[in-house]
Formats: sequence, C-alpha cells, structure tokens
Amino acid sequence: MTLSDSIVRWRYRLVPDHLLGEILTKRWVDNAIPLLILACVMAVFGSLIPDFFGAASVSNLMRQWGEFGLIVMALTIVMVAGGIDLSVGSIFALGNIVALTLMHVAELPVPLVVLFTMACGAAVGLVNGLLVGFLRLRAFLTTLVTLIIVRAVVDMILLKYAVAIAAVFPDSDFWFFFGEGYVLGLPFSVVLTIGVAIVLHLVLSRTRAGWHVLAVGGSRRSAHNVGIPVRRVICATYVVSGTLAALAGVLFASRLGAAGADIGIGLEIAALTAAVLGGNSLGGGRGSAAKAVIGSVTVMIMVNSLVRIGITSGGSSLLLGLVLLGAVMIDVRWLKNRQKFLSKVYVSPTYSALPAAPATDGASPYALNDRLRPVEAIGLDRIDGPEDVILDANDNIYVGNRTGDIVRFLAPDYDQQEVFAHVGGRPLGMAFARDGSLVVCIGGMGLYRVTMDREIQKLTDETNRSWFSVIDDSRLRLADDLDIAPDGRVFFSEATVRYEMHEWPVDCLESRGNGRIICFDPNTGTTRTVLKNLVFPNGICMVHDGQSFLFAETWACRVSRYWFDGPKKGTVETVIGDLPGYPDNINRASDGTYWLALVGIRTPALDLALKMPGFRRRMARRVAPDEWLFPNINTGCVLRFDESGRVIETLWDRSGDNHPMITSMREHKGHLYIGGILNNRVGRLKLDGVDETWTAKRSYWGQS
Amino acid sequence: MIGGLTRMIDSVFGRGDAAVTVPSLDGALRPNRALDEATDRASLQTVDCLAMFGDTLVASAGAELFELGSNGTWDRRTDLGSTITCIASLPDGIVAALQNGDIVVHGGVRDGRRYRLDPASICMTDMAYGEGTLYVAVGSATKGADAWQRDLLERNASGSIWRIDLDSGSASRIAAGLAWPAGVVVDGNGLVFSEAWQHRLARVDLERADTPRVLIADLPGYPGRLSKGADGFWLAMFAPRSQLVEFVLREPAYRSRMMAEVPEAYWVAPRLRSGRSFYESLQGGGVKHLGILKPWAPTMSAGLCVQLDRSFQPRSSLQSRADGATHGVTCAVEHRERLFIAARGDDVIVSVARESLVTDREDGR
Repeated sequence: MTLSDSIVRWRYRLVPDHLLGEILTKRWVDNAIPLLILACVMAVFGSLIPDFFGAASVSNLMRQWGEFGLIVMALTIVMVAGGIDLSVGSIFALGNIVALTLMHVAELPVPLVVLFTMACGAAVGLVNGLLVGFLRLRAFLTTLVTLIIVRAVVDMILLKYAVAIAAVFPDSDFWFFFGEGYVLGLPFSVVLTIGVAIVLHLVLSRTRAGWHVLAVGGSRRSAHNVGIPVRRVICATYVVSGTLAALAGVLFASRLGAAGADIGIGLEIAALTAAVLGGNSLGGGRGSAAKAVIGSVTVMIMVNSLVRIGITSGGSSLLLGLVLLGAVMIDVRWLKNRQKFLSKVYVSPTYSALPAAPATDGASPYALNDRLRPVEAIGLDRIDGPEDVILDANDNIYVGNRTGDIVRFLAPDYDQQEVFAHVGGRPLGMAFARDGSLVVCIGGMGLYRVTMDREIQKLTDETNRSWFSVIDDSRLRLADDLDIAPDGRVFFSEATVRYEMHEWPVDCLESRGNGRIICFDPNTGTTRTVLKNLVFPNGICMVHDGQSFLFAETWACRVSRYWFDGPKKGTVETVIGDLPGYPDNINRASDGTYWLALVGIRTPALDLALKMPGFRRRMARRVAPDEWLFPNINTGCVLRFDESGRVIETLWDRSGDNHPMITSMREHKGHLYIGGILNNRVGRLKLDGVDETWTAKRSYWGQS
Repeated sequence: MIGGLTRMIDSVFGRGDAAVTVPSLDGALRPNRALDEATDRASLQTVDCLAMFGDTLVASAGAELFELGSNGTWDRRTDLGSTITCIASLPDGIVAALQNGDIVVHGGVRDGRRYRLDPASICMTDMAYGEGTLYVAVGSATKGADAWQRDLLERNASGSIWRIDLDSGSASRIAAGLAWPAGVVVDGNGLVFSEAWQHRLARVDLERADTPRVLIADLPGYPGRLSKGADGFWLAMFAPRSQLVEFVLREPAYRSRMMAEVPEAYWVAPRLRSGRSFYESLQGGGVKHLGILKPWAPTMSAGLCVQLDRSFQPRSSLQSRADGATHGVTCAVEHRERLFIAARGDDVIVSVARESLVTDREDGR
C-alpha cells in the first residue's frame, strides 16, 4: 500500500462522513440554524452589555419571556396548521384588562378569574376559528379585523374601568404568585410556559390530534382526502391560540397590574418574528414547541438588549422587521434546498481496498467454462425476480417475486404455478424450519414465517437500537438471507441500514460496513444484533457442526465463518478472502461442501475507484445515478467450496444468455435450482455424480 | 487571475468547464435503430475506412484492402504490408496512410509512390484529395492511431492538419494544436475537419489560412471521418460521449491511476465496442433486468452516423443503440445511391438505400 493510500485510508477511517447525511435526514436538524442564531445573539449582546448574564438581568428577562413564550406558542399552533393569527397581541391585551377588571373591580376568586379570562380568549379564538375554519375566510384578513375589533373592546373597557382598577389593590398572595412567585427557583410564568411547551411538544409529536394539525398544515387537501376533519382542526387551533394568549394576559396582569392603552401593541409582529426565526414554516406543516421556544428566547433577548443599549423604539422595530425578513428568507431557502443538499451528501463512500482478484482463466479454480449452458428455464417470463429458491419435501419450488408474493411451482414438471402467499414486501432469503413452516426474510418488512396452511406470521421487524447510531437502526430495512440453527434460533443478515431495498447497489459505492447479522430466538421471542459493521452481509448458511455459520459479505468479496456456540463462540474467521466477484447466497451441497452464488464479477475500474473515496463521492454528486460506475452484476456464476475455503468447482454461463443474473442456488435431489433477483426464470441444472436422494431438509432436520 | 478563480469555483460546484453534462440525442439525432435495421450487412474483420477507387468501393481492414464485388461480397485486393490507418480516393486511384508513417498511392499514374509528412507523424486519421493536393489529418503528435483512448484520457491536443503536394511531395502544416482531428473533407475553397476531443466540426479557409471557424459544437459523440455525399456530407461518430467519461476526464488522479493500473481493455473510456467482457465497468442503467439490456442504457460504444447538410448542420442520423449490433462507426461513404457504413466495433459493413433513408427520417420527425 502506498503512502497516499494509507493517508486516504486513515482519513476515511477517522472522519465519519456518513454522519452529515444521516443528521440531515433528521427532523430536528431544522432547529440547527435557529439555535445558531440564538447562540450568535447571546454572544453579541453578552459581550456588548455588561452584566448580561447576571442574576437580576436573567430573572427579569425570564419573567417577560414566560408571557412572550406563551404568545409565540399560541401563534405557532395556528401556523403549524397552515394559518396565521395576528390577533394574539390584542387578545393578550384583552386578557390583561379582563383579568384586572375581574380581580380588582368584580373581586372574584382567583381560579374563577383565570378561568373566565381564558374563556374570554377562547371565545375570541372561536370567532377566528369559525370565520377562518368553517366560513373559509382568509386567515390574514380575518385575524387583522379581529385584532382591530378586540383592540377597540379593550379601549372601551379601559375607558370604563381604568380608574377603578388603579384604585383597588387586591389582597391575594395567590394572585400575585402568578406574576412574582417562584417554583423550584424559577419564576412561575417560566415554569408554566415550559410546561405548556412540553405538553405542546407531546401533542404535536405523539398524539393523533397533533398529527392532524401537522397534516392539515402540510397539505390541506391530502388531509381532507384521508378523512381528517380539516375545518374543525383549523377552528380548534384558533381556540387554543386565543386561550394561550389570554393566559399570557393573566400573567402580565398579575405581574404589573397596569391597565395601559399601549399594552400588546406590536406584539403580533414580535411573536411572528420569533415563530419564524425559530424555524416554524409560514406555509404550515413544519413546526414544534422547541422552535417556538428558541425563536421566542432569541427575539426576547434582542428586544430587551436593544432597549438596554439605548436604541430608540423606532430602531428596535426596524431591526425586528429586518430580522423577520431575514428569517422568512432563510425559511424559504432552507425548505427548498434541504432535500437537494441531502441527496448530494447522503452517499458517502469510504476507503475499501480489495485484495487482488484471482484470474478467471487458465488453471484457476474460477476458470471460465460453459457448465451452465444445459440449464433449463422454469417459469420463463412468468416470474419476476426470484431472489431465492427453495424446495419442499414434495419437490415443489418456492420463490419470491418483485410484487410481494411467494410463488409455488408445482412438481413434477413445474408448468403450473400458484401464489402460495402474498406477503406484500420483497421476499428474499428463505429456509424451512423444523416444523415445516417457511421462514422468509422480507425486504422492507423483516423476518416472517409462512406456515404450510399459508398463514403469515411476523417473527420480528426490529432489533436493539445502537447507542451511537444517528439514524434509527432498530427497524429492519433490508433483511436479506437467513438460516436456522439446530436449536431453532434464526440468524439473518440485514444488508444495509442506510439504504432501502431498491437502492442496494448504491451501498456498493459506499462500501462501508453498513450491514449486520441479527439473531431471532423463537424460544424467548427476542431479537438481538450479533455482528455489526459488515460490508453488505448477504448469504448465511449453517455449518454442519451446529455451532457456527458461514456468511458472505458482498461488497467485501469474502466469505467468513462465525461461531455462535461452542468453545470458539463469538469469533469470526475469514474462509475465502479474495473472491473474484460479489458473493450472494450460500447453501449446503450434498457432499458436505457449500454452494455459493457470485452475483457479479469485480471490474478493475471499480476496484480502483473503491480505493478513491473522493472520486466516488464526487461521482455521486455530479453524475446521474443511471450513469454511476456500478458493480458488474450482469454476469455471475455458481461455485462450490469447502469449510477450509478451498474452491472446488465453478459453474459459468460464458455467453450470459442462458441464465443471466444469479443470486442463489439450492441443491435438491441431484439438481441445482438457480434464482436471480433481476431474472425472469428459475434455472434447473442436472448435477452429475451426486447423491440423488439428498435434500436440504434432511440435511438440516434429519429423517422426519 | 479571475479565470483561475472561476475555474476553482466551477470545479467545486461542477459548473462551467467542470460540468459533466452531455447534450441529449434530440432533433436530427433522435435515437433510432436504422443501423441495426439495415438488412444489407457484410461481415469484414477489423474493417475501418471506406473510399472509392474509380467506380469501385474499397475498404481497408488491417493491412489489407478489400473491394466490393458485383455480387455484394468483399474480395481481397491487396496487402500493403503495414496496418492501414486510413484511405482516401484520388481521381485515378486511392491513397492509403500506414501505421509506419508512410502514405502510399495505390493505382493510377502515381501507383506505388510514397509520401511522408515528417518523421514523427504516424497517426494519420483521415485524408481528403482536392486539386492535386492531399489533405491529411494527424490525430496526435505523440500517439499512434490505435492509442486514441489514451490520447483522450491524457487530454492531449497535439493533432495537426497537413497538405501534401502530390506532384512535388512537399508537405506543409495548415493547423496545429488540435484535439485529435479525426476527419477532413474539402468544401469549396475551405477544408472542414472534425476535432474529436472537442466534439466539434471546424472549417479552415485554404486561401487565407486563418484560424479555424467552428461550424457546429458540442456534438453528443466523438466526431470522426467526414465524406461528401450527393446532397451534403456524412459524419461518422465513432463513439458516444457519456457523463461518466466526461467526469473521469475531470478527475486527473483517477485517470492517471487507471491508465497505470487497469488493463487498457477495461478502462472507463469510450470504445468502438463495449459490453463484451464482464471485466468492463458497468453503469447503473446498464444493469440487465429480466435478461434484457435497455436500449437507453448508458454505454461506452454505440453506432452513430450523421447526415449533414451543405452548411454542416445535422439533418438526420442512423444509429445503433446500447443493445444494438452495429457499434463503432468509423466511416460512411455514398456509392451508387446507397450509403455504406463501416462499423469497426462489430466488424461489419452495412448499407442502406439513400432515398429510403432521407424520407424515412423526415417522416419520422
């Protein structure tokens, strides 16, 4: 290995490039930019203003934030559902004056005051909701009108009761607790707002009601089409919004007890700025409580700090407007470009140097021949993509197909075929269990069992989640092949956790250890990952000792052996390390050796590219996927090897016409049955000089 | 300075010169299977170039010349002792350029006479005769005619165009610094040549000998030999361009390692015939589904023959697609109202009636 190769190898071993793409697939990455802005704002004002992080300053700021945060959350709820509520500022003012009037003038008990004030806000919200949701008026204009009307009502109440409010000082500690009390060392309003934020987060992310709101905001028509009561949902968001705004008013009333005419004026712009700055989309469908919190803290700090620096109120409004403009711009660009960026960076190849490929001519055990020429085609053009082939005791053939069926070809002539079971996903590897049921790896679904009564049972579709994996790897994406240990444990491979079924060749471009082998124990019903970071693990086959299995790593071009029991438990040994092609399924042969399918042959140009990850990364970005350098999976072969890794024979189809594409083979009563994931037939080859009574079923489960 | 900066930014974002876009086959170049549908096909191993010897059509293959017999068979005519890189018609015979650098006349008053450009020039790719003068395209100053893939991957531009006075034998250079000129044809008082690695046709005025003027640029294939037809010209494009090759051409590290470590037959490079070995690299769209290779599959080789009008704009085309059997068109010549096309990739000469062809394409449009 040259020095530059070593440098490249270490560079890709040390820097986990794939994480960038994985992080970008996460929804929470939407919060990254708002958080960054918040950090900048804190850094700038923290350095400009002396004692910015002092206790008094922080406490004052927090109390104000409690009220402001509630209003931003009120607005967020409406925005998430695709609307906008400009009347939050007025409702806040209304809540303030109503609470003061009830407390100071009517002298009602505190709980009643709170309840009544919130009901007041809810009523205004209901008016908004009815107009926007049911009468389908424009949200912007409607709430603008409500803003004006409510403001007028506030002025009228103010005119009538301002003097009375100022004259009375309520004698209730409970009342002042709202504005001045502490819970666990934090101002009450902050605790309340955090509580509301947690509830809002849980509702939006975990409940049916929240999903309805997000769905309506994401696409009103689609939401309607799937049966969500769109009008009711929209109306409800305005009611909740009004209630929260009024609650903020109560807190404000308790804190200041002031009945001024300018309370809540311009608040809607500040709240809107905060909501958008936090990353809540103006178009709806994308938003969260966390975003509202981040945005409100940022705006709160900015507004207060500007006042403390001594900038006049006009300047402060100007800055707020500019920030709103910038936030809207980022919102639009981010939405538009995130997926584009993600698609460019997700494929992240790594360094992979394969050992020199053995020759396929001369005296090589892999030498070309035409031994697959006599293969007969079963079900030619009547089957689409039989990845694996298996035969039962009555010689019937079972194969999966692309449309999600397990198809059975009936013995003895295999002219007739029937759908044995429709499983929905992509059936890949298959094996018969001791009780005669068919255990199947289904791409996109997981591990399933089909009994001979055609009953489909799920065995498992998830495993333990890795601690340090960014993407959720608990769910099975691409269960590939399996085999069953003598005690009934099912070991199956999951080829890759980073790609979906149909993108499997793209995983080759990465050639990273994205795959794993998982064990399902039917005795305890548990699923656990036993081997990780394998390079596209594919075929699995039990060794005759009952303590270990062979597995193929396709893009690493090797076959290894893993001991799950016995004295060597837990160890992995390479059996064949330098295959000339990409190994797929492994199955037992009648003489105690093993069959291995090579799905494709290594090409020198791709082998070189595997040592140059930068080249492959740029290719993935610049070149259209149909033009990418691919593993050559158009030509394959079948070979037989023994436990020591000695290759005994290789079966080729030189022209590639007779049986293109091989992913699996199964020996049964003197014949070899061949499957291919992109093929249109099942191949059948008469084997010479083998035990013509041998079946895999007997080899695994004895004479039963 | 600004130019360098722009190039750097372009290479980061894959824009400008760093863009790997290839023009799509459209308009007159819309995909078709005309070459594969041609019923008149004659197999001739390593057939390369076609020319007229009086009224007889002659083909070069290896070191030998073949002629088209009256019954449609190709009969061996002579062996010139060295691999022929191209042939051209003279008024009373033909002239052949050999791999050893000689240009030798066959037939006519100058039979057997040999010419030479300069000792170093061995890569004659095409020739054309006009008024006592022979015009010769030299693909590269450093590579032989069969090492064209290496010349492309090295991104050379060392080709030139020469003129030889057939009476005196004196040779002079008309143009130099060209990226593999692969075809020449006389057009009035000018000479039109194809510049393969620049994917364009250009015209140089023979009287004024000014800088060449580009006639058509950004062709979707590598333009090769040109010939004059009854109503315009024929252009043989010997290989298609592909995004992957364009990308590899912009990856110097990979290119140099590939040329050093990978056998030449398996390079990621355009080819006269591809897909014969499983050691050749495969591209995403080339994966066979249900045993079928898609016609649109990205390919390193194809058959492309373009009919040009008198102003060298494409009028129609005959093609063989990824799954076709007439790849690597190296020459196209009109003869007795038929068009003969030599496809070296598949060792075949196909011919189609000229009339049927033009109307077909225009109807199809």
